[in-house]
Amino acid sequence: MQVDILQVATIVALVVLAAAWYLSYSASRLDRLHAKVEGAVSALDAQLVRRAEATLELATSGAVDPATSLLLADAASGALERHTHHPLSHDLLDGQNFAGREHTETDLTDALKAALTPETVAELRADPQGPGSDALARVEASALRAQMARRFHNDAVREVRRVREKWFVRLFRLAGRAALPEPVEFDDDLPPAVVD
Amino acid sequence: MRIGLVCPYAFDVPGGVQFHVRDLAEHFTAQGHEVGVLAPVDDPVGDLPAYVTSSGRAVPVRYNGSVARLTFGPVTSSRVSRWLEEGEFDVLHLHEPVTPSASLMALWASSEPVVATFHTANLRSRAMHAANPLLRPSTEKIRARIAVSEEARSTVVRHLGGDAYIIPNGVDTGRFTPSGETTRFSGTAERPVLAFLGRIDEPRKGLSVLTDAMPAILDAVPGVRLVVAGPGDVDEIRGALDPRVRAATEFLGAVSEADKVDLLRSADVYVAPHTGGESFGIVLVEAMAAGAPVLASDLCAFTAVLGDGPDGPAGATFANGDSPALSQAVVELLRTPDERSRLRDLGLRRARSFDWDVVAERVMAVYETVIDGADRAPLDPIQRPGLLSRLRWPARGES
Repeated sequence: MQVDILQVATIVALVVLAAAWYLSYSASRLDRLHAKVEGAVSALDAQLVRRAEATLELATSGAVDPATSLLLADAASGALERHTHHPLSHDLLDGQNFAGREHTETDLTDALKAALTPETVAELRADPQGPGSDALARVEASALRAQMARRFHNDAVREVRRVREKWFVRLFRLAGRAALPEPVEFDDDLPPAVVD
Repeated sequence: MRIGLVCPYAFDVPGGVQFHVRDLAEHFTAQGHEVGVLAPVDDPVGDLPAYVTSSGRAVPVRYNGSVARLTFGPVTSSRVSRWLEEGEFDVLHLHEPVTPSASLMALWASSEPVVATFHTANLRSRAMHAANPLLRPSTEKIRARIAVSEEARSTVVRHLGGDAYIIPNGVDTGRFTPSGETTRFSGTAERPVLAFLGRIDEPRKGLSVLTDAMPAILDAVPGVRLVVAGPGDVDEIRGALDPRVRAATEFLGAVSEADKVDLLRSADVYVAPHTGGESFGIVLVEAMAAGAPVLASDLCAFTAVLGDGPDGPAGATFANGDSPALSQAVVELLRTPDERSRLRDLGLRRARSFDWDVVAERVMAVYETVIDGADRAPLDPIQRPGLLSRLRWPARGES
């Protein structure tokens, strides 16, 4: 049997082309997934900042008692401080681990749960024109959105990680220098009295 | 906001997903948003709301165990692209995106931020597993997944991996608000009324569980009336009943919306003996909104709708399919008016959280979160670490 060099070369070239196309397709797919994680993490970041700001506003509105006010202000400024001192860098995936903010955000969730008892919520809502009611509505809105944003972020992280586990992605380093994104886990439950 | 909604099933054929899309579209339009709906249409010359664009004639196809009316093919494909191009939507909200119809094609063609709602609780794994590698790159475009119930959510988790945020189906609870008027269904202390709603010849609606429980209920409360509203062969079902139960049961056949509302408003106990296959108990929400004390089988979908707040669930439950337990629970409820009025109050409050006002606000919050993330994603064209920088070989010292 005679081997036609030209034929073999053509087949090899085609296979190489197909492989190259697939690799570049996978790389851009991975890039899109990384961009989605970046969008999701910055949306989460924005909602958490809004949640802390609204909590601070509620604390200083004068609509809650001094002890509650102090409790809320402490947790909210803790979260804001942590955000300012450890901002997410411009490359959100560069060593992205949510800057260790999970603890302060859980603390804020706990403080909101402790402060917003059914009685307090009923009292704040009883005066719809009051400053407390407005701040409470904003706490509620941002906490709800933070909850959503965290779920959506973690979904996006799972998708990136699944693609990055593929052998050819690792072999050809298609993820380049982008750090492996981590899911963000903290307690983001809304105070039960607010949901009801 | 410019919102594009895509419904995979023929819009002019009644169905849960279609109603959901219609209500959502009308709610957001009323709030001043610009809403477009893309859906297959069965009857091209029929009357359609102005916001609906046809993605093509629906074809009946057997998919996922039942016959659905779907569209696909090149005509649909070009209509989907044109609709997306002309719509310039800020957000695209697809319903049932893994059904082979308009939603999947819109997902494939889209470049806008995508939100997807999963309705079904019984997705067949065969099709999903076979198509998964093909679907994966498309489903990765979805930025937010919504499930209408816990069961729909676990279907998503099982078949697509990842998670979904639960936002229940909406109900226009205002239509059911108790009026206090006496209707032809209203009971008295001696003749209390039990209500059943649903197809009478479909076993999973559980009418037989209730009729089997009736003799024991009649023993304890002889005057009880059972009112059954729902289509099916009445003569056949009635003929098979115990004569005493037959005398106590009224079959209404298929009822109008107004009669349904009246029945739920008048019922002393609304019984939901469904034995399975329910992804979401809309009828339970309607009963609660109408002020009917609810007694339901303990399906996951139902216990989720009844909730478990600080005051306990907003309805009583009994073990699924267990007629003796059902009769015991009914008798107990009929004998304790206080418990019924407690459940009624809890139900009225619980129903409010399924009102379209509340549900649509949550869906809007998802849109905002997603648009927020999409706007931020390419941080700054220069600063954003693009494809090339990620591909750059790590410099020495870096890992």
